[in-house]
Amino acid sequence: MNGLSLIPAVTVEFVGSALVILLAFIALRYAWALIRLEPDNFIWGFLWYFSIALAAFAISRGVGHIIRICLVFSDQQDLWRRLSPLSGGFNTMLMISVAAVTIYYHKGLAAYKAIRSEAQKLAEANQKLAGSADQLQRLNTNLEGLVEDRTRDLSESERKFRNFFENSKDIVYFCDLDGNITNINSSGIELLGAGRDHPVNFHKLFADPNVLKQYLTAIEAKGYVSDLDVELTGHDGIPRHILLAANARYSTNGRMIGYEGIGKDMTRLRTITEQLINHEKMASVGEMAAGIAHEINTPLGIILGYSQLMLDDFEKDSEPYATMQVIERQTKVCRRIVADLLKFSRQAESQKSSINLNEIIKEVLAVTEHNLNIHKIQVIREFTDELPQITGDAEKLHQVFINLFNNAQYAMDGGGELTITTFSTPAGVRVSVSDTGIGIDDEIKNKIFDPFFTTKEVGKGTGLGLSVTYGIVQEHNGTIEVESPVIGSGHDTLRPGTSFQITFPFAPRDSADSMEDHENG
Amino acid sequence: MRIHHLSSIIVLILTFGFADSAMALQTHGAPEGIYVHQMAHILFISALAYLSWHTRRTQETSLKGWRFFQIFCIFLICWNALAFTGHLTFEHLQESDFMAEDEWQARLAPPITFIKALYYLTKMDHFLLVPALIALVLSLRTFYIEALGEAKK
Repeated sequence: MNGLSLIPAVTVEFVGSALVILLAFIALRYAWALIRLEPDNFIWGFLWYFSIALAAFAISRGVGHIIRICLVFSDQQDLWRRLSPLSGGFNTMLMISVAAVTIYYHKGLAAYKAIRSEAQKLAEANQKLAGSADQLQRLNTNLEGLVEDRTRDLSESERKFRNFFENSKDIVYFCDLDGNITNINSSGIELLGAGRDHPVNFHKLFADPNVLKQYLTAIEAKGYVSDLDVELTGHDGIPRHILLAANARYSTNGRMIGYEGIGKDMTRLRTITEQLINHEKMASVGEMAAGIAHEINTPLGIILGYSQLMLDDFEKDSEPYATMQVIERQTKVCRRIVADLLKFSRQAESQKSSINLNEIIKEVLAVTEHNLNIHKIQVIREFTDELPQITGDAEKLHQVFINLFNNAQYAMDGGGELTITTFSTPAGVRVSVSDTGIGIDDEIKNKIFDPFFTTKEVGKGTGLGLSVTYGIVQEHNGTIEVESPVIGSGHDTLRPGTSFQITFPFAPRDSADSMEDHENG
Repeated sequence: MRIHHLSSIIVLILTFGFADSAMALQTHGAPEGIYVHQMAHILFISALAYLSWHTRRTQETSLKGWRFFQIFCIFLICWNALAFTGHLTFEHLQESDFMAEDEWQARLAPPITFIKALYYLTKMDHFLLVPALIALVLSLRTFYIEALGEAKK
């Protein structure tokens, strides 16, 4: 029994079929894992269907082979002959199926590639969009930061300029073309009385319409005005000298819409300057008066001496005697004037001692009050007790207050109130003599201390009263100031009248005590 | 749906299980089965060849797993060719070429001609089919490991 045994081939067929089934299912398992991992991946989907078809083919073929071997070798060839076409048919069909799946792979892959390309583009677009959004976000964040920085800088700048605006001691104002103040700092409110609650027209504050015209014309012509000396009268009615620098304000289209400016209050400086000028003037006048007085005094003495000698040469009832009496009397008047001039020029001798001003004023009032009362003038005493002593000539100080009370009486022709106040200040003892009279015009305020200046009718005054007063005060190292109209106690009202404020320095021994009292007070 | 599937399967079993008494409008002779089967092998070879060619030139299939897949295709093409040859050679063998057929002692009767030797060789087709399936498993396993690695990233 020769020939080639088929047992090895059958064994390989049997084991091989079993292995093929096993491997096909292992492959199917991995394909299933892939499809689970990435369900949207077409290639894995293809491999999944390919593996299914292959597994089916493996089963069909492998099981067919195994069954065939089992049936043939168990002597059941008839049964196998019946099953054989079925197995073969399944094999054929599944092979075609695997091939069909493979053929359709091409179209599927193309579609997948197209979809994936679109998806890729979409992803890239999304990525770009995300990048742009991110960039936009960063820009936005950066912008927010920039805006925050700018706002902070702006706020800081605004605060700085607002502080500068508000804390400036000068008037800083903004107004429209009609002069209505739209914004003004606190100094402006304080000095001019303009504010949110008191709308004020800046142009109406100008005391002199000509200056206002000059101000408006200059700004209109040049766009600015600088160092313009103006007198403004604020809400309280007190005139103030302001050094003004102003600019025109323009809209974005270049149209003038208003004014803005800074004004410096020069009132105090002007007063001090005027006082200095006046002081110098008085010093010059005093010097001249002293020279004249000295020159006139000697001839007057001779005239008086000779006139008194000549009186003895004539009968008392004779005409020449009467003439000589007139000469003697008028010569004495002249000598008194000369003596006043010497007092004004501080050439007269003084006998200074420690004095209480309250006592001096009381002594003067004791003589003059009766006369004042006759003229319906009420004297109001506001004396401070225990007033510090000053060093002065009592006789000359009597003269000071006599002159001031006489002037007050002249100013209050129809009666009124004369208020005399004494008090102590750090600068010294201060006396205020205030009347409710007609006051002094601004035009002559600077001349009232000039010798021979008077508003009285001819023959009623020599014009030396206030000059002598000024001279005596100066001799006592004091100061005299005049206020007309009188500023009220609240510093916000004015009343008609005149107030003289005289300040004398403390006596040397009282100076320390007085300062101590102030500090303790 | 289950009833529908079950009924379909029963119809298929009845149809193919009693092929002898199958009724058809056109009669189909016995050789038709082997022709169709051989054509299926050719179709299968073509499909695999196309698949192998396509996976080589497509960028999307350039992963390492595709190398194994291409090996699988080559082995399976070879197997198809071998099976095709096997079926062809079997057609040339007679009953007398087999000794004690259907028994454990079954043999190819002498003399061992080229056809008989070729037939014997084609009976060993699992030496191509099993490596093909191993290559497929390796291919899918590689795909899975790489995909898992990507997913974990």
